Amino acid sequence: MCGIAGLLYKSPTRYASLGQQMLTMLDVLGSRGVDGTGVALYGPPRPEAAIFRIWLGGRDAPADQAERALARVRGLARVLEASVSHDYLRLVVEQAGDLDPLVQAIRGDERGIEVFSVGRSMEIVKQEGPASVLRERYCLSTFAGSHGIGHTRLATESRVDVEHCHPYWARPFPDIAVVHNGQLTNYYKQRRIFEMKGWRFQTQGDSELIALYLAHRMRAGASLEEAMHASIRELDGTFNYIVSTVQGIGFARDAFATKPLVFVETDEYVAIATEERALVAAFGPTVAAFEPPAREVRVWPLPRLVAGR
Amino acid sequence: MGFQTRAGGSALMAGSFRLDCAALSTREINQTLRQLLAEGVRDIVLTNPAGRHNLGVALRGEGRITLEGDAGYYAAAMLEGPSVRILGNCGWGTAENMMRGEVVVEGSAGNATGATIRGGTLVVKGHASSRTGISQKGGLILVGGNSGYMTGFMMQKGVMVICGDVGEALGDSMYEGTIYVGGRIAELGNDAVLRDLQESDLELLDAQLARYGIPGRFDWKKVVSGRRLWNFSKKEMGVWIHAL
Repeated sequence: MCGIAGLLYKSPTRYASLGQQMLTMLDVLGSRGVDGTGVALYGPPRPEAAIFRIWLGGRDAPADQAERALARVRGLARVLEASVSHDYLRLVVEQAGDLDPLVQAIRGDERGIEVFSVGRSMEIVKQEGPASVLRERYCLSTFAGSHGIGHTRLATESRVDVEHCHPYWARPFPDIAVVHNGQLTNYYKQRRIFEMKGWRFQTQGDSELIALYLAHRMRAGASLEEAMHASIRELDGTFNYIVSTVQGIGFARDAFATKPLVFVETDEYVAIATEERALVAAFGPTVAAFEPPAREVRVWPLPRLVAGR
Repeated sequence: MGFQTRAGGSALMAGSFRLDCAALSTREINQTLRQLLAEGVRDIVLTNPAGRHNLGVALRGEGRITLEGDAGYYAAAMLEGPSVRILGNCGWGTAENMMRGEVVVEGSAGNATGATIRGGTLVVKGHASSRTGISQKGGLILVGGNSGYMTGFMMQKGVMVICGDVGEALGDSMYEGTIYVGGRIAELGNDAVLRDLQESDLELLDAQLARYGIPGRFDWKKVVSGRRLWNFSKKEMGVWIHAL
């Protein structure tokens, strides 16, 4: 089943509500599946630093996993912020150039530790279970920011574990994430083709392909919208997906409109969700949402008036 | 159940009843609706539907039910008699499998609106989505706005009126039935063909649009089955290849 959600605020006056409204939508969409819940939220962008959200390995992780990862990072760069809550280590690291050495350093040779997101602004937090787990463990209802995406999972194609929860970071490209409702039927064929071109896949989840597809197309010069239009031709299967970058959010629907999706745009915000119930819960009963047609691609950039972008 | 079901409701005037969905489970709402209709209550208002799924399914008898807000999936599905009015949007499968009765949606509706209805009238004043009236087996579907991909797929009987534009594959593989379109047709589906309108067609369209308060003048197109897919003979392979 899966549920997906996207939110973008057109005015900074609403930024304080981002985490809370996103979690409200995911509470409702949890009726579609609670194998996992995850968000990618965009807080104030850091001009000279990168934010890392690091999964420490869950129940079987050694007690000093975070400290040892921190020590490895300190050998390479200046750590501006470091905090551990439950299964995540959050780092803000001064960034100069390529992030890959930092990502490798964090992982070290350890089992279980994994970097789930890197970005100037984007932070991914995901966990098995319902949205209430994210609310209780990671204080995400107080996360303030301009936009974000979220997901509730009913696993159909791959394992139930945190690695296969969405959102998928389009590694190694910072600040890009995807949430997906549906199944890609040409995943293995496409994966083989792209691996031969040098792409690296982290998981066995088909949704990861969407994130990498968009990121690589954009690296090759396509706009996000062009990449999304191409994906509708080249990816086979059922899908609605929502992609987020530091600039905004967008959705795409497959050629047969096989999965439900509604969205609403007002002067103050854009909200996308698998079910209208989620929008009503977050924004009230006067929400004028409607279902877009098959093959639709819509992208919303943040308004240019916002400083620092 | 008797008076227990009236907890959370109140009588405004003789024969009418307000029911707050927020206080009840979907099952309780539907059981209460059936109970009220059976007891002869003819006017029921549901408040705070909040986009909930499966509201008002399998209702029988006579009466008028109004939803003050949005419904989710399968609103008023399997309706057999009453008149349901939704003062908002609907999700997928609205009035699916309606046998008789009336459903009026003031807003827009999602995929497979009016799927496989056998009778009655379904009106969507806003837009409908893909697969509107899929496998329609009777009755009337009237959409004031646009409709999407695969509208009228495998239509068997009845009348569909789309005042606005229609997406690709309109009336694909339809057996019988008639689809009228007031706006642009993106693409006719397999074996769906255009026919000239008669006076009787125009009279029907004027009457139904007036009845449901849908204004405007439309450049009507009439779509029916070409009937070339009804029978298959391998001697006619060329016909099939052409039709498909």
